[in-house]
Amino acid sequence: MDKEKLDELKIQLQQLLNEAQEFVQQIPPAQLCTAVGVVLFTVFLFTVMYYLLKHRSANTILLTGLSGSGKTVLFYQLRDGSCHQGSVTSTKPNEGRFLLHSEANKLQKGKMKHVHVVDVPGHSRLLAKLDEFLSRAAGIVFVVDSVEFLPHLRIASEYLYDILTNASVVKRKTPLLLLCNKIDRVTAHSMDFIRRQLEKEMTVLSSADTSDEHTLGVVGEAFAFSQCHNKVTTAEASGLTGDIYHLEQFISECVKP
Amino acid sequence: MLEQLLIFTRGGLILWTCKELGNALRGSPIDTLIRSCLLEERSGSASYNYDAPGASYTLKWTFHNDLGLVFVAVYQRILHLLYVDDLLSVVKKEFSEIYDLKRTSYNDFDDIFQQLKKEAEARAEEMKKSKQVGKSMNNNLARKLGNVLNGNMDGGNKKKSGGEPGNDRDSGNFKGRPLENGNISNNHIGKGEETMMVKNNGKENGISNTGAFDVNKLQKLRSKGGKKTETVSNKVSKEEPKKITKKNRVWDDSPKEAKLDFTDPGSENGEQHIAVVAADQGESMMDKEEIVSSDSESESEEEETSKNNKVDGKKKGWFSSMFQSIAGKANLENSDLEPALKALKDRLMTKNVAEEIAEKLCESVASSLEGKRLASFTRISSTVQAAMEDALTRILTPRRSIDILRDVHAAKEQGKPYVVVFVGVNGVGKSTNLAKVAYWLQQHNVNVMMAACDTFRSGAVEQLRTHARRLQIPIFEKGYEKDPAIVAKEAIQEASRNGSDVVLVDTAGRMQDNEPLMRALSKLIYVNSPDLVLFVGEALVGNDAVDQLSKFNQKLGDLSPSPDPRLIDGILLTKFDTIDDKVGAALSMVYISGAPVMFVGCGQSYTDLKKLNVKSIVKTLLK
Repeated sequence: MDKEKLDELKIQLQQLLNEAQEFVQQIPPAQLCTAVGVVLFTVFLFTVMYYLLKHRSANTILLTGLSGSGKTVLFYQLRDGSCHQGSVTSTKPNEGRFLLHSEANKLQKGKMKHVHVVDVPGHSRLLAKLDEFLSRAAGIVFVVDSVEFLPHLRIASEYLYDILTNASVVKRKTPLLLLCNKIDRVTAHSMDFIRRQLEKEMTVLSSADTSDEHTLGVVGEAFAFSQCHNKVTTAEASGLTGDIYHLEQFISECVKP
Repeated sequence: MLEQLLIFTRGGLILWTCKELGNALRGSPIDTLIRSCLLEERSGSASYNYDAPGASYTLKWTFHNDLGLVFVAVYQRILHLLYVDDLLSVVKKEFSEIYDLKRTSYNDFDDIFQQLKKEAEARAEEMKKSKQVGKSMNNNLARKLGNVLNGNMDGGNKKKSGGEPGNDRDSGNFKGRPLENGNISNNHIGKGEETMMVKNNGKENGISNTGAFDVNKLQKLRSKGGKKTETVSNKVSKEEPKKITKKNRVWDDSPKEAKLDFTDPGSENGEQHIAVVAADQGESMMDKEEIVSSDSESESEEEETSKNNKVDGKKKGWFSSMFQSIAGKANLENSDLEPALKALKDRLMTKNVAEEIAEKLCESVASSLEGKRLASFTRISSTVQAAMEDALTRILTPRRSIDILRDVHAAKEQGKPYVVVFVGVNGVGKSTNLAKVAYWLQQHNVNVMMAACDTFRSGAVEQLRTHARRLQIPIFEKGYEKDPAIVAKEAIQEASRNGSDVVLVDTAGRMQDNEPLMRALSKLIYVNSPDLVLFVGEALVGNDAVDQLSKFNQKLGDLSPSPDPRLIDGILLTKFDTIDDKVGAALSMVYISGAPVMFVGCGQSYTDLKKLNVKSIVKTLLK
């Protein structure tokens, strides 16, 4: 049944082709040239616009970190100013292009820029998703749980190490913000403690690193975040209470230029 | 009663919880469900059990794949609620009508939910009643039987002097007990009989009138069995002193032969005789980066497979399927997914994935694709393929760090040696790969020591000794017929004395069904508490991989005397060079045990050890 249909179609197509060929040969050459020229021009225009758009959308901010550090809550704080009814472990990234909630309330005279924020799940099985977004990021926020910090210290430092040695991050010198979340809790560690512990772990990691890709820090010296080529800053925040001033500042700095 | 019903997005935001059932859940069942079930590609199973101190819940779920929503119901495990599945599906339907991408609070859903819950409960009650009508016949029969037996019992009691009041009480309780369903009442009858029997035993009356089993007889049988074993052991002990050594049989008049022992007398001083092979055979393949070729060939292959699918699958007609793929409006139904999934399952099985695992994976992918809207210009088969690729990448990505060097460093800082135990069935390549791992660690300036705890197989200790000599690392051995657990313990003590960073413990191969050997293994692990239990499995194994790993894990868990048993921490896949592209064993093993593949052995020389490349395996599996 299908074969017969295919044969019929083939005959029909051939007839159409013949007709088209005759038709084309009938048109005077000038018209043909202008038609082709117009087509080429529109194609050119589209490619130019596409590249412009791509460049413009390099205002992506990535929220990364381990599972349970509070990225989804921060995402919704940025977007809506409240964390609604709470969150569970994410299995898919949350993407949104919006005005920061705090800025939307203010009356601003100038144009406000929309920010494209992506919340990448931190579960170790979903590590592959991070690579898709790293190449497009204008700024990376590494969220750390200040309360449950020490038990996850090793995994967190390995994750951070992988981000900092990623090829596109090194090439584009993406700024990174180390955000210590959940400081509203009493047992939260301080910002400096967290930074120092991470630096210590990264020293060991960079000395044990066997791959040929980019390594961090200076060989022989203890690692410090100031040695990175891209700017690494630390800040504190609390997703639940909405204390995200430093985070918003970082975002506006990354997105502006 | 339902404990909680949650609706949340796949991105993690909770959209709605039932406010009436406001009991706070103990522990974190939802997060555990996501981590241990949904992210582990087990979303095709019917329910999930969660145990927390003080509570034990059962969770059931359903997805709305088009909108990316997850609906989860939590209830106490002891209540076997029948209406949960029904309730979840009606909640899904109703909620998807009021769902809006921008909205984040759905307080008006409370009333709708209450109504739906009442309806679902009512429907379940009706179903129960209709079932009970059928079962009440069984109940009546059972009751009659119970009465007959009771009558006999009472008769028997009255014969003796001073029938215990306890017995009458028992029979009274017995009749009055509510009979829920036929099965349970039968059990009660059986138990009631037994207690009666036991109570009457003391009087030593022949109660065998009732014809049921007699505890007296059972006890006699048991004592008989005991006597039998005693006689057997006596015979054995009598035989031992009579042992006669075998004399060589002499044919004709040939002269007596010399001793048939050809072992080299100088083997103990082998270091002088045997040339020491240079330890430097090049860089171990663990440290070489694998280059994954970009998938430019995948397009043409997809077309070929799709052609096959069109011929095999439903003959919908060329026009309608093309039209649908362009318009992309179709909501995926199970019937649409079936042919594509079946083709995928067959393809996975030809790649040596165990049948059970392929089945579960396909179910999980089906549950995550059902109801989803097809994007335009995509075929069903390509959507299914993409979803399966995602799922496979997720499973094969390790859940925890597999960087052993980092762990060794950490153990070094603490001042104790890092202990690795190699377990597995017979003949998978434990000793060979142990040597490869030792070589690799040596290249990273780690002091390694081997422990020969295979005290059963002839030549095992010599094998390790040869490897140790070639690699020039110390070996701890105690010969044969010793308790492996004790040998391992002493080896670890020796290692901490002579400053070794890593101890690699070789054990004897054992079948997963062999109970005494598995007990010995769990004793070894319990006594020595190693840092890493590495299961060595060969890539040639087929469906048996599932059995091996699940039995090993189960036995290690059950037979361990500690309340927190050590299970398999990692997998070492061997003989990878013997399979061309039938790499499915890796997937089966990782899926069934949850442990990551830490090493892959791909040859018989010291450098043939590499890391598992997830992307290339997934590509090979789906080719």
